[in-house]
Formats: sequence, structure tokens, C-alpha cells
Amino acid sequence: MGISNETMRAIIREYGGFELSDEELEQVKPEVDSYIEAMAETAELDLSDTMSSRLLRAAEGGSQDA
Amino acid sequence: MPNEALLDLTISELAPRIASGEVSPVEVTEAARARAERLQPVLNSFITLLPERAVERARELEAEVADGKYRGPLHGIPIGIKDNIATRGIRTTVGSLVLSDNVPDEDAQVVALCEEAGAIILGKENLEEFAAGATSNNPHYGAVHNPWGLDHIPGGSSGGGGANVAAGVTFASLGTDLGGSVRLPGTFCGVVGLKQTFGRVSQRGLMVTSFNGDHIGPMTRSVADSALVLQAIAGYDPLDPSTVPVPVPDYLEGLGSSLAGLKAGVPSNYFFDEVDAEVETSVRNAIAALQELGVEVVEVSLPSMQYVGALRAASLSDGIVTHEPYLASAREKYGPNVVNRTMAGQFVLGRDYSRAMKVQRIIKEEYARVLQEVDFLVTPTAPIPAPRIDAVDIDVNGETHRVRGPGSGFISRNTSPMNGNGLPAITAPCGFSGNGLPIGVQFIGRPFEEGLLFKVASSYEQVSPSRGVKREL
Repeated sequence: MGISNETMRAIIREYGGFELSDEELEQVKPEVDSYIEAMAETAELDLSDTMSSRLLRAAEGGSQDA
Repeated sequence: MPNEALLDLTISELAPRIASGEVSPVEVTEAARARAERLQPVLNSFITLLPERAVERARELEAEVADGKYRGPLHGIPIGIKDNIATRGIRTTVGSLVLSDNVPDEDAQVVALCEEAGAIILGKENLEEFAAGATSNNPHYGAVHNPWGLDHIPGGSSGGGGANVAAGVTFASLGTDLGGSVRLPGTFCGVVGLKQTFGRVSQRGLMVTSFNGDHIGPMTRSVADSALVLQAIAGYDPLDPSTVPVPVPDYLEGLGSSLAGLKAGVPSNYFFDEVDAEVETSVRNAIAALQELGVEVVEVSLPSMQYVGALRAASLSDGIVTHEPYLASAREKYGPNVVNRTMAGQFVLGRDYSRAMKVQRIIKEEYARVLQEVDFLVTPTAPIPAPRIDAVDIDVNGETHRVRGPGSGFISRNTSPMNGNGLPAITAPCGFSGNGLPIGVQFIGRPFEEGLLFKVASSYEQVSPSRGVKREL
């Protein structure tokens, strides 16, 4: 599991990202691979009925009498 | 000669002596200044020292005491401020070359509150470049050294603050914690480090950060001192939408009361999975000590922690967006570790960011459920004692982990989940490794229950093997 240098270069090129030298790509890759690996772990999760944590529930803070 | 013996006291011990006029803020500040200047070449804990400003402010505060105007327990107490927290008229570099000449025209809210409470800013403290890492080995301002082992990191990113508090240079330091950056210097330097509930303290004036999980919190030499500092900085800030209008309780109220009847949860998964043997022993001993103090200890399971790595999608995305303007204009001024780590954010998919937000919800709900069964959780703060400054990798139980730069999340694996779920967490010293490096235990509580954490940590502090052990430099 991981991302190829070619794909990374294509993303930078097509989406106007920050240019990276070959050496820099190699340095960045462990962090990218680590994120991809972590996301792969969640593939088994059915998140269709899960709310985003972006939504705030009343019980998560706030008080009328503050 | 400055009276350096004053620097061995905690804020709680010193404050009554300042209030009564027995000790002058000038006397304390002169002592702190002398120690700071003596140890700066050893610890490299400050980026900007402010000795004249501090002494001048101490004179004003001395006069106030004489006039009967005592502001409270922080009156006349020298503190440090991490150099990513804005200070009006004082250079604030964020540990970077990009902002090496940056002088804010406004104080961060916490700085204003500390000064209003009478604290004296001794200096701006060294940190990891852009607070993005756990070593405080700064490529531009030099490495901060751990007072307990000068060849070792103090932890980070608030390493200057941890080193200063441990070495008795400051009585408290304000750090920032986006993945453990207060609690890691806390554990590695043998001091108390608090990351309070997300929304409890204003982040206004915290520079170049993600507002999705950062916290400004104190490092102190005692739990009571941590409570005193939180008392001063906690509260709703109408100019910071991340703060929550929950009333601020009296954090000292529960200190010293019995722990009988409380229930602690010890996670059976994740938090002890990749821990150094000496750390595990110290933390297990701390748990046994809690039992002797009357706490019921039960095992709890947090299965959703297997997905916690997904939160990286959010932190990486936030990182690249935060740094975008600086990378666009001054990329050559970045050190390689931060630039490489940050650049990874441009490869995160929006789909994954959205999934990460849902995973974050699952994790938050699981902690909420578990914290209905128990009053607080106990874990090791860091999986290891402080690594050496020159370490690139470390081996733990046969596995190799990176210490700095891309792929180096291991050190913060036990602290960063609480940046994702927003829960309050405090680290307290719980002993030493065989080579004399501090080890910390982490207590995690329900939202806005910092008071309970102070009560637990304070009682534990009285029986901890670290009690009374000081570092003389």
C-alpha cells in the first residue's frame, strides 16, 4: 500500500501543488504512506449513518447560565 | 546575590510570601533572571530573554503589594511563554526563520490574562520549528536540552517551557498542545503538563496553527500550580469561536480530598501496546498507588482506537492550509523536517478528510460511553522516556520508530488522541528510568472536568516516587 512518485507528481502538476524534487518526494512519502495506510484501516467501517464531528451537540459544551 | 533558593518553591508556596510582603517580586525575578542567564547556554530554552522588562514589571508589582493591591497567586511570579504565542511589542518567531522579525501588535488572550493576574514574563521560549514536532530540536534556534539528561530531548514542541520549569528557571510556562506538545515536555522533563478541554481556554493569538485541536496549556512543578494557572487563563472569549461559555469552577476546591469512590479505567488496548518496559512498570505502579488511595481500578476497552490514525488526514490537511502562505513566499527558510512533513498535506483527498471527521465522531462517542462507566482513564503519557537529541530512530520492543520528521508520530501516539476527542488530560511525574530520565502518567477526564483531574493527580503526586526529587544544574 502506498502512493507512487508518478501519482504524487501528477497531483502536484494537475492541482497546482508545491513542486517537490525527487529527493523531497522521498522525504514526504513516509508521511503520505502513513496517512494512506491509516485510511485503509477504516475501509471496513460503515460510516453512512455516522455524523461528522464537525456537528456540535448540545451536550458537548455550552451553557445558558455562563 | 540573588536568592536562588526561592526558585525551589512552587507557586502555591511562594504566593503567600509575596502576598504578605515577606518576599518581593523583584527578589524572585532577579533570582529567576540570574538562573535563566546562567542556564541559557546549557539548556537553550529561550529564543528571547526579557530580563530588563521582567525586572521593571516586578518593581511595579512590588509597589502594588506595598499599596495593598495584591492581584492573586500569580502576582509577581516569573513565567515563560512559548514563542508561538503572540506578545505585543515582543518578537514572536514561532521557532521559524520565516517569522524571525515578527513583532505582534496584540497580546494573545492568555498572555493578557496572565499579565492581568500579575505574572511576569521572563522570556519567549524555544520550541520545535512552527511547533510541528516532538523534539524541540530547532534548526534555526538550536536544540533545547533536557535538564535531566543534557544529551536528551526535552520533548516538544513546547520544549523550552518544559526545560525551564524543570530547571527552576520559571515557575510556570505556557505551551501549546496540538498532539501532545505540553504533555510530552511534561513527561520528558518530569513536570506537570495540562491540556485542558478543547474550548476551555482561548487560542486567540496562538500563531500558525490548526484551530482543529490546538490548546494553550500550562507546565508547572506541581498539580496545584497547574490549577492556579488554568484558573487565570480559562474562560469564554467572545473573539475566539472555539471557546465555550461553560462557567469556570474553583479548580483548587477538590485538591486534597479523598479519592475513595472514584473509578479509574485502564485501557486494555492501544495505550500500553507499544510501551517501553520501564515506562509500563512505572505507570502500573502509579495505578497500584491510586488503588491504595481508594480508587477502584477497572479495565476498559477502546476498540475504535484502531482507527485513530485516520485523524492524520485532518491534521495533514490543516497543516498544509495553515502553512500555504509561508511556503509560497519563503519556503527556502523552512527546515527540512517541517517542510517535508507539511508538504504531505497536499496529497490528502477530501473524501478522506470527511471520513476522518466521521471517525473522530466514533472515537469521541466511544470515550463518552467509557467515561460514563469510569470517572477517568490512566495511561502512559509517552511510550518511552526522552530519546537522545541525535537519535533519528528508536527501537521499542523490537520495533523501529522515527523520532523526527515525516512518519514520526510514535512519540505522540498516547497524547494526540486527546487532541482529536478534545478531552482534558494531564501528565504527572511517576518515577524515573534506569538512566535517570523522568516518566509520566496521563490522566484523562470528561469534558470540562479538569477539577477532577487536578484532584486525582494532586493526590497521586503526594505518593509518587518523583515527589521531592529535584534537578540541580
